[in-house]
Amino acid sequence: MSTVEDPREPLEFLQGTLEVLILRSLQLGPNHAYGIGQFLERQSDSQFLVDNGSLYPALQRLLQRGWIAAQWKTSPNARRARYYRLTPLGRKQLVAATSKWQRFVEAMGRILAPEG
Amino acid sequence: MREWWAKVRAALRGRRGLNDDLHEEIEAHLDLVIQENIAQGMTPEAARTLALRDFGNAALTRERAQGAWSFTSLELLLQEFRLAVRAILRSPGFSLVVIATLTLGIGANTAIFSVIDAVLLRPLPYPGADRLLRIGETNQKVHGFSVSWLNYRHWSQESHSFEEMAAFEGTRKTLTGQGEALAARGIVVTSRFFSLTGARPELGRLFNETEDQNGAPDVVLLGHEFWMERMGSNPNVVGATLVLDGKPYQVAGVVAPTYDFFGKPDFYMSLGQVHGAEIKRSAHGSIRVLARLKPNLSMAAAKADLDAVMQHLAQVDPGSEDEHRAYPVPLAELSRQQIRSTLLLLMGAVGLVLAIACANVAGLVLARSTTRTREMAIRSAIGASRLRLIRQLLAEGLVLSTLGGIGGIALAYWCLRALIALEPQSIPRLSEITLNLPVLAFAAAITLLTGLLLGLTPVLITRKLDVVFALKESPTSSGRSSVGQGLRNLLVVGEIGVTLVLVFASALLIRSLIAAQNAPLGFAPDHLLALHLNLPEGSYKSEAAIVNFYDRLASDLRTLPGVVAVGATSCPPSSGGCGDWFYSIPGLPTPGQSDVPVAFYNVVDPSYFSTMKMTLREGRGFTDTDRGSAPPVAVVNDAFARKWWPKESAVGHQIKFGGPYIDGPTYQIVGVVGNVSQLGLDAQAEPEIFRPFLREPSAAMAVMIRTSIDPDQLTSLVRSHVAEADKNLPIQRLRVFERTLGATLARRRFSTLLLALFAGLAMVLAAVGVYGLLGYWVSVREKDIAIRLALGAQQSAVVRWVGSRAMNLAAAGVTTGIVGAWGATRLVESLVFGVSPMSPGTMTTAAFVVLGVTALAAALPAWRAMRVDPARKLHDS
Repeated sequence: MSTVEDPREPLEFLQGTLEVLILRSLQLGPNHAYGIGQFLERQSDSQFLVDNGSLYPALQRLLQRGWIAAQWKTSPNARRARYYRLTPLGRKQLVAATSKWQRFVEAMGRILAPEG
Repeated sequence: MREWWAKVRAALRGRRGLNDDLHEEIEAHLDLVIQENIAQGMTPEAARTLALRDFGNAALTRERAQGAWSFTSLELLLQEFRLAVRAILRSPGFSLVVIATLTLGIGANTAIFSVIDAVLLRPLPYPGADRLLRIGETNQKVHGFSVSWLNYRHWSQESHSFEEMAAFEGTRKTLTGQGEALAARGIVVTSRFFSLTGARPELGRLFNETEDQNGAPDVVLLGHEFWMERMGSNPNVVGATLVLDGKPYQVAGVVAPTYDFFGKPDFYMSLGQVHGAEIKRSAHGSIRVLARLKPNLSMAAAKADLDAVMQHLAQVDPGSEDEHRAYPVPLAELSRQQIRSTLLLLMGAVGLVLAIACANVAGLVLARSTTRTREMAIRSAIGASRLRLIRQLLAEGLVLSTLGGIGGIALAYWCLRALIALEPQSIPRLSEITLNLPVLAFAAAITLLTGLLLGLTPVLITRKLDVVFALKESPTSSGRSSVGQGLRNLLVVGEIGVTLVLVFASALLIRSLIAAQNAPLGFAPDHLLALHLNLPEGSYKSEAAIVNFYDRLASDLRTLPGVVAVGATSCPPSSGGCGDWFYSIPGLPTPGQSDVPVAFYNVVDPSYFSTMKMTLREGRGFTDTDRGSAPPVAVVNDAFARKWWPKESAVGHQIKFGGPYIDGPTYQIVGVVGNVSQLGLDAQAEPEIFRPFLREPSAAMAVMIRTSIDPDQLTSLVRSHVAEADKNLPIQRLRVFERTLGATLARRRFSTLLLALFAGLAMVLAAVGVYGLLGYWVSVREKDIAIRLALGAQQSAVVRWVGSRAMNLAAAGVTTGIVGAWGATRLVESLVFGVSPMSPGTMTTAAFVVLGVTALAAALPAWRAMRVDPARKLHDS
């Protein structure tokens, strides 16, 4: 017996999760801000709704830490866009963060799972 | 760390590039979305609108992304202040009024606080100054009189509460043999006096412990200034001989410049050499004791320690003063006592002025913030957070108050220069007043406080900002926020009330000053020249010699053209009191040991009363026969006579000098004269006993010369006649008496002037407040007024409308003020003279003055209301 929230209500990003998810999205290859947002929404089945007001500052923070790098490129449909890619440092960080978050999710799941 | 470096690098590169990048990136982002939307079959316009809506607040996103690169707090702060300065420049009139008001408030406060800092707060520059005590004796009735030499010796040897203890007394001696005879002021001390006051020898040596004993050699130390001015800084002065009062002293050293608390003595003598031979415990000179408490010991404990010594002495060496105890006073208190109430009153007054200034400014800010509601609403609609708005308002308040604070410090600087120029003598330590660190800290603190107040007032008002409502309202009507208006009314009522308190207090002081100036003196002060002389002991050894000298001098002066009369006294009027002593009335019940009455004493020659034109109420004055072996007689003043014989004549009664427990002659009262206050013009006359000079001469006398011409013209002639009588006799002082008398009111005049100034300042500020409030009130009601006029209302009705509003404010203010003023009377009571502090007349006057000022301030808004042109006003809107 539990009160389930409206499944259509988008989830908010927990502190630090947006950064990890951005890194994960770039693992597949360089992408621009809009693309990253789209990717996250798609992959999460629209559980996450990416707010540009959070996405852009998060990208700047990742740039500062040297985990990603940015470059102006022309997109497949001949539009100029700013593409972000993972740096080696970012790749290492993603590995570390992934295992950390997996442990976190597992632990949460074990505790929250209904008994028996 | 890496993050921080990235930020620093970015900061060094400049952020313009970052800004452009972000701008372009977001444009590209939007483009992509628009393309997608079009691909899904939307029109370009619809595609763009949807893209923009989906993206959210682009400007805010950009700002926040940029924010990731800034050293957030500091940079935001700078940005806030840049914006604040811009906002202030946008409304220069408003800003100037605010800054000027704050300048006045902060300036006056800083100036008065710096006086308080120098006089009341700053410790004396002596080692362990906060533990220094001046100790006198007390008989439980009179406090702090001189300590006898023997008592001091016992204290210093048997007490355990002090690090160091010294005794000192002032002295005056005549220096001869160095050109013109010179009146020199010295201080007679024991050796520890120097270490207590941190004095060092500049040449030679100071006194040593053996010189605190009887039989010390006749040596003298010179003060630095005396050595420079009188001895031409002679480096070989040590070992030279000085003749003081006809007795040779060897110079043993020069004392380096010291802090000017004990005056700047011309010379120092050894107390052991002067008093060492004393054997009676009741032999009083004018010795006081200076001592430094051991750390962490209370003054009460030290007093108990000294009292135990006194009690022990009373057992082993009983005498007439066995009831005497020690009476310590913190040294710093001595210079503060008299001025404290005056300064605290002024600080209170100036604090109220600041409160009015703040109320004014708060009112202005409120008025503006209610009209600024719209601006705030717009800013919050385009994404400024509430915190951001508050920060913005705070920054504006702080910038305004800082400008006011800077102006205030400058104003204080000039005020202090003026203050020092105006009144160098009536305030102790005045020359030390500076804008030092504590004063500047004080100014900074009140500046910050007013800044916060300014910033937060509108925040509290706009707490519930309803964006939609504020945007829908028209710009002018949004100013009629009822919360702000109510608070402004309250502020102005408060201002009027506080102003009334200040006006009332200064009116009391002004009336006191007038009363003091017009108080019946009991003598005629005009055409009077006062010649102060002090015959040196060395050359005037016998009483006969003293009498002879003054007798000859007086008859000589009487022959001068323009001289009407000459009389001498030991204590001229308003000299501040020349010492009181015990007495008793034989025939009346003997008073207890601690209830012996005291009276002022004076010694006068036979022609003194007539020279001064004092009134003889009963009996006779002194005559030429009251001399030598004639029976001892005395004249008393009216206050004395009425104290003891309110219903009968005092003449014929007797006075026992010294009271029942101390040896002294018994006088027969032969006359009663009118009261003349020894203390000052603004003091009631105390009981006073006059003794005949011819019988009991005093070496130090003031010869009062009554003239028929301008007394100034006689000074040089008098000077030459004194030199003729004794070329080795220095003139202590020669001055037109009215000038001396006027100077005794200097401090009262000074505090009255300042308080009146503050009251005036308060009135101006309150008037500005009333004007501002009413002017604003009228300006937002111009349309209402126009309608009334259009409907046929008379202009006079409009004026009445505004006037009644002003009078409502004034009435509320005056009522509050009267309550406050009654409370404030207790604070000024000690400074009030000759009028009742609760004087209803003064209160009524003050109330009418304040009402008048309010009416004046209301006149301009009323006139403006009257001049509203209904046709144009209604057409415009």
